[in-house]
Amino acid sequence: MAWNKVKLVLQREYFFNFKRPSFLFTAFGVPAITFVAMFLIIQVTANRETNTDAFQKVGYIDRAGIITETVPGYDTFAPVTDVDVSAPADGASPDDLAAYYDKLQERAAGQLDSGVLDAYFVVPDNYVMTGLVDLYAAQNIPSALQSDVEDFMRTQIAARAPGDLPVSSDRLAAPVDVILRDADTGDELGEFAIVGRILLPFLFAFLYFMATNTTAQFLMNGVVEEKENRLMEILATSLRPIELLWGKLLGLGALALTQIVLWAVAGIAIASQFEEARDFISGGAVDIPMLLLFLVVFVLNFALFSAIMLGIGAAVTAEAESRQLASVVTLVNVLPIALLSVYFTNPDGAMPVFFMFFPLTAGIGLIMRIGLTDIPM
Amino acid sequence: MAAPGSNYAVSVRSVTKRYGNFTAVDDLTFDVHSGEIFAVLGPNGAGKTTTIRMILDILKPDTGRIEVLGGPISDRTKERIGYLPEERGLYRNVPVIDILTYLGQLKGMSRSDAQTRATSMLEQVDLGENIKSKVSELSKGMQQKVQIIATVLHHPDLIIIDEPFSGLDPVNTQVIKDLLYSLNSDGVTIMMSTHQMQQIEEMADRLLMVDHGHRVLYGSVQEVRDRFAENAVIVEGEGNWNALPGVASVENAENGREVLLHLASGITPDAIMQEMATSQNYRVRRFELAVPSLNEIFIQVAGGNHNHTQPSELPVRS
Repeated sequence: MAWNKVKLVLQREYFFNFKRPSFLFTAFGVPAITFVAMFLIIQVTANRETNTDAFQKVGYIDRAGIITETVPGYDTFAPVTDVDVSAPADGASPDDLAAYYDKLQERAAGQLDSGVLDAYFVVPDNYVMTGLVDLYAAQNIPSALQSDVEDFMRTQIAARAPGDLPVSSDRLAAPVDVILRDADTGDELGEFAIVGRILLPFLFAFLYFMATNTTAQFLMNGVVEEKENRLMEILATSLRPIELLWGKLLGLGALALTQIVLWAVAGIAIASQFEEARDFISGGAVDIPMLLLFLVVFVLNFALFSAIMLGIGAAVTAEAESRQLASVVTLVNVLPIALLSVYFTNPDGAMPVFFMFFPLTAGIGLIMRIGLTDIPM
Repeated sequence: MAAPGSNYAVSVRSVTKRYGNFTAVDDLTFDVHSGEIFAVLGPNGAGKTTTIRMILDILKPDTGRIEVLGGPISDRTKERIGYLPEERGLYRNVPVIDILTYLGQLKGMSRSDAQTRATSMLEQVDLGENIKSKVSELSKGMQQKVQIIATVLHHPDLIIIDEPFSGLDPVNTQVIKDLLYSLNSDGVTIMMSTHQMQQIEEMADRLLMVDHGHRVLYGSVQEVRDRFAENAVIVEGEGNWNALPGVASVENAENGREVLLHLASGITPDAIMQEMATSQNYRVRRFELAVPSLNEIFIQVAGGNHNHTQPSELPVRS
């Protein structure tokens, strides 16, 4: 085999298809659009969830008598009062206290309607038993306000701890912070790393499907085009069929790998903008052996699909015919992704195991099970 | 050039090719001499393309032997061949210069040599301004010229070309004809398959006609025409042709100006010409041997009852 001719075909296939608008859109456009869309969504969501500027006046009614401390940083929180209602005297009956707080709640509701208050919360009588606090607002309540109320209440509880308690008030306010560690290395895992360990293989499986099908179809279309316009006859007098096919296979395989690398880099670049996603990536979700496994599976998966697409391209005489046949293969290939829920409910079930051993679904099926169950290698 | 000691650019010996029960080529034997222009003709489905594909090693013969440029075809031999199939195309969305460079490199040229020669040849055929144009932006005639350049770019010793003039206007036909003549004068062997009999008569040294996979005509163009010549002359002039001694019968031509004189057995055209010259009763403006055109021979040999020729492609003899 003349490898210099294989190299010529490889270069031609790689650079010609790299410049195709469809490839450029898939390789660059999709990550770019995803980045912009994610940025906008996150900006809007984050702003809505973290911005408490619209809640400058938050009242509270403490029916349990828990709140005793003025907590720095919670200047917007103030007890609801009513000048028309006098506070019950010490030793007042429970019914009098209940009537008093009911009136305060009515007052708070009125102030919320009139805009005097932006929100108010009620610490109910049975708070000590349930830990529940009712928060009312006239608009969407951001998670930051909920957190503020929770922290405010923790501080109040901590302040009531007996002086001889062998823990600090801070620890009492935040008693537990579980650290996740890798069972093999002992390295600390981020909060989202476990999620990453499950989801990253799914993302890779999706990337495989997209990259393999895009480039394998380029391969098939190229062969059909060369057959249709008789260029194949000219090429057949310049190099051997095996040299032509190797060149195409390697060129488009490199293109598919480029596409995956571009997406992975773009994905990391996007993810690194967010703390949770950094945990997702760097928290030990993917290690070198796993990346090597992904690479090997990708190469084998690509080789199989390219061979099938080449076979289709060689067998048919028209592009429309080739697309029909290719769509059947693609449909089978996408089955593991289409039946995603089966993997979550029972990754060791008959269907995921079958997909892992059936050639047309083996590549994606194997990758998708990795994060969910132990697979003997 | 062919290997030393070999006079044949192509040698085909007793070659047969079958597709199932259909015999496309049946015990075909012919040679293409080095340095000649050789024409292959025949009705559609006669086996021309199959024969060419076997010569190029695209198809393997069932039986028989083929040698190209002095031996069995090899990778090295293929680099010395330029081939242009009848139904042809190029990568449509690729600049002309890129395609030519790629095809030149596949034939063993360096990138710079392929680019330089492609540029030079494109300018030679008036496509200098279209070097960076995509193929899809060119007219059919322009694409045809690019395809022919791709065929000859790498200085082949043997050019095999199917219907080189189809789709070309008279000006571009002449441009390509000049290019092929120029290559042939440099010693390049040209084997062409065409339906355009006028081009064969004008360009080819020898021809092969196949029909139903069999060789039905083979030899120099002049030999073939002479073989089919009748003992008759075409005359334009005035006189009572029936009264001319040695004339067996007279046939008026459709154009009304000339007559075809069928000569009696044993009478030569020279004798008739002498008879006319010595008689005061005849005035002759034109005297010509009645040699049939290749078109007439083609129709006669191919039987005329096949649906194999396209009348518009066949020149009408005046």
